[in-house]
Amino acid sequence: MLRIENLSVYYGKRLVLHDVSLEINSGEVVALIGPNGAGKSTLVRAVSGVIPAYRGIIQNDDLSRHTDLLSLSPMQRARSLAVVPQVASLPPAFTVWETVLMGRTPHLNFLGQVSARDEAIARLALQKVDALELSGRRVGELSGGEQQRVLLARALAQSTPILLLDEPTSNLDLHYQVSFMETVSALARQEHLAVLVALHDLNLAARYASRVALLVEGKIKATGTPRQVLTPELISLAYHLPVQVIPHPFVDAPLVLPGSR
Amino acid sequence: MFRKLFFVLLTGTLLAACNPVQTVSSVAASTESPATAVQAVPSITLTDGLGRTVTLASPAQRVVSLAPSNTEILFAIGAGAQVIARDETSDYPAEVLTLPTIGGYGGFSLEAIVALHPDLVLAQGGGFNSPELVASLENLGLTVYVLPNPPTLEAMYTNLETAGVLTGHGAEATALVESLKVRVVIVDEKILPISFRPTVYYELDATEPTKPYTAGPGTFVDLLIARSGGINIGAELQGQWPQISLEQLVVANPIFIILGDAAYGETPEKVTQRPGWGTLTAIQTGQVFPFDDNLVSRPGPRLVDALEAMVKLLHPGLFE
Amino acid sequence: MKYCVPAKIMKIRPYLYTMIFLLLAVMLSIAIGSVIIPPVDLGRILFGWLKGVTFSDPLKTFAFILTDIRLPRTALVLLTGAALGGSGAAYQGLFRNPLADPYLIGVASGAGLGAVLAISVKWPYSFWGLLAVPVAAFIGALLTVFLVYVLARVGKTIPTTNLILAGVAFGSFATALTTYLMLLSTGELHRAIAWLSGGASQAGWEPVLAMLPFLVTGLGTLLLSGHALNLLQFGDDQAQQMGLSVTRTRTLILLAASLATAAAVSFSGIIGFIGLIVPHVIRLWFGADYRRLLPLSLIGGAGALLLADVIARSVMRPQELPVGIVTALVGAPFFLWVLRRAKNQGYW
Repeated sequence: MLRIENLSVYYGKRLVLHDVSLEINSGEVVALIGPNGAGKSTLVRAVSGVIPAYRGIIQNDDLSRHTDLLSLSPMQRARSLAVVPQVASLPPAFTVWETVLMGRTPHLNFLGQVSARDEAIARLALQKVDALELSGRRVGELSGGEQQRVLLARALAQSTPILLLDEPTSNLDLHYQVSFMETVSALARQEHLAVLVALHDLNLAARYASRVALLVEGKIKATGTPRQVLTPELISLAYHLPVQVIPHPFVDAPLVLPGSR
Repeated sequence: MFRKLFFVLLTGTLLAACNPVQTVSSVAASTESPATAVQAVPSITLTDGLGRTVTLASPAQRVVSLAPSNTEILFAIGAGAQVIARDETSDYPAEVLTLPTIGGYGGFSLEAIVALHPDLVLAQGGGFNSPELVASLENLGLTVYVLPNPPTLEAMYTNLETAGVLTGHGAEATALVESLKVRVVIVDEKILPISFRPTVYYELDATEPTKPYTAGPGTFVDLLIARSGGINIGAELQGQWPQISLEQLVVANPIFIILGDAAYGETPEKVTQRPGWGTLTAIQTGQVFPFDDNLVSRPGPRLVDALEAMVKLLHPGLFE
Repeated sequence: MKYCVPAKIMKIRPYLYTMIFLLLAVMLSIAIGSVIIPPVDLGRILFGWLKGVTFSDPLKTFAFILTDIRLPRTALVLLTGAALGGSGAAYQGLFRNPLADPYLIGVASGAGLGAVLAISVKWPYSFWGLLAVPVAAFIGALLTVFLVYVLARVGKTIPTTNLILAGVAFGSFATALTTYLMLLSTGELHRAIAWLSGGASQAGWEPVLAMLPFLVTGLGTLLLSGHALNLLQFGDDQAQQMGLSVTRTRTLILLAASLATAAAVSFSGIIGFIGLIVPHVIRLWFGADYRRLLPLSLIGGAGALLLADVIARSVMRPQELPVGIVTALVGAPFFLWVLRRAKNQGYW
């Protein structure tokens, strides 16, 4: 499981994350929601060690209890958590196969020499996201949805117990949004991964996450099940917009509708 | 008894083998007079412009010249027949044009020089032939002599003498130097009583007519103008080849404009047409003259030709 | 059990092609020069060497030209081209910019300034006196990289944009200073210009031996950095998230590439286009995987510069054009031709 304790992050003089604490258990998908600028991407970047944290501990309970992920080298940290970024500006010249193999880096030597086992893992990752037939294609030729799946496969190939996703559905159309989140939640269950996914779409969060964390202006305002967090009061306040919440007609989840009665 | 005999014979043979023959030969050697010993002209050892000690067993017979000044010097002292190759810019006297070239401003061909098997490569110091070139030729086993860039006429005379020694034309070199000195003395004597020294602007390059290049202090042009009884307006500027702005030129208002860039197509007519130049006195009085810059930029015997040409321009009446 | 990936990544064919190209270029470089050695005589000399025969003229002179002039020159040009090609590929990968070349952060301007400063001093004619100019150029180059690096640093990171900006700014400053010095200079202007145009080095094995340790260190490091450069193509964030220590790796690669370039430039002057164009051609033909791109650019750069040098030596016999002019005149149109023939769109 991933445990974030008292994480605070500064951008220059501005405190952008304030004492954030969150736990994500293995096998569950936690959705991180909040308005733009709340700090969702910042949280993902800080947890993955890309931005320095002012204070706080990130722990992977699969390792020894006292290992702070932020104190590790990037290589060591990359064995514990993998990140699925947004699809912007991927190097177009690499093939899907080459891209997914890059995910194996924390398990390779510095020359990047790949073994049969690494190839098998990469192949399996592509299968899991249903992208194996894209292997020989150049990434630049793929659609947004396909590229996002490739990035997911790359993160899976990294073979980590923790997965962070930074607004992966932002550039996807409706079909891909749904199919992607289906894949993510299925994988979380099957592979016992601790998954934290930053989402801007509240209804995707409601449908696919077992727990939701609401981040507003760098602070966690609420955590709990979708029903507990996606209430009109909390959401209206956070997004400065009146909303209604009704039960979803097809699945057992709340449905957030912008606008008042 | 045989043993004794054997011993005597052995000793005797040894003694005979060691000394008597040597004594004979050394006696023979010591009775030889030095005049008949195999020893021709004593070898030449000089220190060149880079401080290198250069030795030649005998005067050079196959000389490669790496600079036009060297070519002119060699031919002037009568060593022209010993020159086997020249650089591209060597063009005086006219007969050098038949010689093969081995490079020039763009670089020299080491291969071509080596293939000619010269016994002397004559280079010019002061930046014309780089030290790297000299080192490269040296490493290839060639004998290189660097004539230093002479800052004065006297230093140029020294170079002539040096070239004479290197090529076995010492006497001719000395004679040449004497005749040059005589000509210079004549000029000096004529200039001495002249009180009026005209101002001169010597143009090197006017690609940008508002900021042309002229000769600064310490250059040979500067020296020559002074010795010809003139005043170089470029002497006030900094550096050897400074640019002078049109404004400065107008203020200085030289009496003479000497076109050192005549070889590049500048003519007095073209100068007259340059915008803003019409106010200059020299243009209005028609005192704009072309000049062969090669006379001045190649440090050889033609420097004296340059001096005489300059005097004739600046003080026309003097030589009639 | 680990082994090198076969088939897809490490195909032998690209290496074979480029090595053949290099070999042809080396042979041309040895066979062609301002003195024409007939192929028949070349053959006789080669056989003579094998049998241990001593030559008499004209073969003796030809053999001397081959061993003492052409061979060291070929070695120097080969190493220089390899350094420029390899560093060019590394710089393009580091900065993720198709316009990047080894001179991006000021190595050339720094070397030029150092060289011109040294040229304006009248060193005594000695071993160290002659070495003064290349050493000064080398120091100038590395000092510039160091200063640019320090200027570009933000906290613990070195953003590439900052590097480029600082490099351009510093480079312009150094170039301006160099031009000013050249204006002030007295007789050494010609020598300075010759140095800056490229190809004005000493003949013989000394420059080669002097360059070698830096080249081996720099290029050796680069050859091992292919995987890291691949990762860097995804941006600093993703590279770090996949396990790369971005700042440390970037510093290492920058240093290695700059070391190789500085050594090459110090002895051969500023030669352009090789570092820019060769990696692009390799990329167009053989793909963007840096594990392959780096060694191929190294070999390709060596071959390309050798060819350019051959042209520079023979086009205006016995004069020699500066190599930099040939690389520009020939390189640019060639690259445009390759670009048009490229089948992959968006290869970058």
